[in-house]
Amino acid sequence: MARALRQQSLPLAEPAASKAPVTRAAGTPRLWFCVYLPELPLQACVRSSAASVVVEEQRGIHRVLLANEQAASAGIMPGQSANAALALLPDLKVVERSELREQQALEELATWLERFTSFVSIAGRNVLLLEIAGSLHLFGGLKKLRKRIAIELFEQGFSAALAIAPTPLGATWLARAGRRVCIRDKENLAQALRKLPLACLAWPPAVCEALNGVGVTTVGECLRLPRDGFARRFGVERLLQLDRAQGHLADPRSSWRAPQRFCSDYEMTEEQSDRELLLSLCHELLLRQERFLLTRQLGTQRLRFSFFHLKAPATELTLGCATAERVAACWQELLRLRFEQLTLPEAVIAIRLRGGATQAMQAESAHLEFTRKAGSTQRYSITQLAERLTARIGEQSVSGFETVAEHRPQLAWRPHNLLSGKAASTLVRLGRGLRRPLWMLPEPAVLSAEQGYPVHDGRRLMLLDGPERLETGWWDKDGITRDYYMAVNPAGMRLWIFRNRQREQAAWYLHGFFG
Amino acid sequence: MRSNASSLDELLANPRLWRGREQAHAVPGLASGYAELDRHLPGGGWPQQALTEILIEQYGIGELQILMPALARLSNGNLEAGADPGWIAWVAPPLQPYPPALQQWNINLERMLIVRPRSDAEILWSAEQALTSGTCAAVLLWPDRLDDQAGRRLQLAAEKGASWAIAFRPLTARNEPSAAALRIELRSDEQGTHASILKNRGGRPAVIRGIF
Repeated sequence: MARALRQQSLPLAEPAASKAPVTRAAGTPRLWFCVYLPELPLQACVRSSAASVVVEEQRGIHRVLLANEQAASAGIMPGQSANAALALLPDLKVVERSELREQQALEELATWLERFTSFVSIAGRNVLLLEIAGSLHLFGGLKKLRKRIAIELFEQGFSAALAIAPTPLGATWLARAGRRVCIRDKENLAQALRKLPLACLAWPPAVCEALNGVGVTTVGECLRLPRDGFARRFGVERLLQLDRAQGHLADPRSSWRAPQRFCSDYEMTEEQSDRELLLSLCHELLLRQERFLLTRQLGTQRLRFSFFHLKAPATELTLGCATAERVAACWQELLRLRFEQLTLPEAVIAIRLRGGATQAMQAESAHLEFTRKAGSTQRYSITQLAERLTARIGEQSVSGFETVAEHRPQLAWRPHNLLSGKAASTLVRLGRGLRRPLWMLPEPAVLSAEQGYPVHDGRRLMLLDGPERLETGWWDKDGITRDYYMAVNPAGMRLWIFRNRQREQAAWYLHGFFG
Repeated sequence: MRSNASSLDELLANPRLWRGREQAHAVPGLASGYAELDRHLPGGGWPQQALTEILIEQYGIGELQILMPALARLSNGNLEAGADPGWIAWVAPPLQPYPPALQQWNINLERMLIVRPRSDAEILWSAEQALTSGTCAAVLLWPDRLDDQAGRRLQLAAEKGASWAIAFRPLTARNEPSAAALRIELRSDEQGTHASILKNRGGRPAVIRGIF
């Protein structure tokens, strides 16, 4: 019978240490680090040290789910009704449980944990799993890594139970049972699992009760039951879980993929209009973004601050940067320039920072010390300078040049956006013999004429050079037929003038100064 | 006689004694490309890391031409001397600088930065930013007003960023005090363009007729 069952389905295969393990990948054995956050509902919502509880509605009554240390010392315990708790401690802060907040906190932690490993998985409501076999040598070994994660979690206000085991489920169960263990091979894991109480498996209460009813209270006792009977009575899924926990079956997990764009809010308890304070809050958001981008090795070129008011619609402020940037100090400098000119219609109640599309940071090789010019005082590059100028005086006001292959003088060039990242094209060159003025008028100005000679400032001009006939552009609206001359006035100014040969506009025009 | 010589030495060793020529020669000038002008300028050219003022009655009398050879050299850099091509910033030019003509003067157009601020305060702010950035080899600016204090700030910014500030001002500013290292007045008539050096740190005032 047992043999027939074994042939039917592989998952029910009898555990045997001698057989080749299924889960072992070709490479290094995996090692799973479980972060179990039993007090997440409380810690995700409550940040203050005042006595607080998180309550949840159970059958119409709000009951205490978790109480923090101060509340617990006043005698408040999980399971009490909210009214009973308030009777014990009238200034108790009562917070409704928010699963959304918990999920957000869990995702933020998952994102943060990505700095320790490339594989973080969210397993359930309050469990995070890290695959750390490859990270150990980077973080100075298992003990140091565990200590570091424990300390940094504590600093962020989370109390966690940590356990390390070769299988994800094994690590989770050990962490739930509160065993602070580091198990690296499967034999030890099997031993450790056997001692675990059934409660840490998070099986439905009905299953646990049924098992208790037949005298089974630990995992080890479960494993001693006949496999086919166990599967029939308690579900195949339970049996598979036991096999996965011991590493007899593969247990693939999906890796947490953090969002690629940053978005974070800062909500204030009351409205604020102090600009310095608002700037410092923005800096806090920028620091968050910097951490976010740093773990991904990304930068962004654009970001937007939204300042929310109680009544007026939100004030928005968009900042742009020529190259992908993530350093908060750099953004803060740009923000400060723009913020000076920003008018806020009323006090601010919340600030949101939304990052633009991210891109890989461009690595720039630094100058070697000896190739740097002696006494070089370069503070920032041209793009940084252009950014600063644009931030204060507007994007249209800062530009470069590029030349265009065109005979019409006013179309032979165009402005070039220095922040576009593209190089200006300046390969088109005029012939040597042609004379062009250094100063150009935006529009040609009509000159009066005296006996056919052009007049400027009331005095007749002397023609020095010319004509240079330009007759082109007939194919579009701005076609020209002009004779250009270089002329000099009695004050010694040299002008670039032309006579329009089109009959309806026949006149002398001033087009530039030789400067 | 002997005692006189030693007292002169003593006097020269006195740190309170300021000798103009030594100071000015600390930084060699940037050759202007006009031999007659270079001869009158201490250091043999435009004073670098300093403010130069060019006073003109109206635009278009050669105030750009006098700078062109020097700007061409700055914008193209000098490989042998290890100087990178520097940026030339134009802050609030009154007319449009015409790129094809600049190119004919051998100016590297890829190194031009045109800034058009909206107010006088922004002109000075932009010029100061460009000067201190250390990226711009020269900053040309056309301020509406330039009082003594603003001039001093530009002078300091030019020193800090090792840049060259060139402010174009009307002739009416001639009698105002100025912190500039060099003040040149340009006039033109039928014979050509003439320069008079009004203030020349480390050199002497002079009049040069017919630069070009």
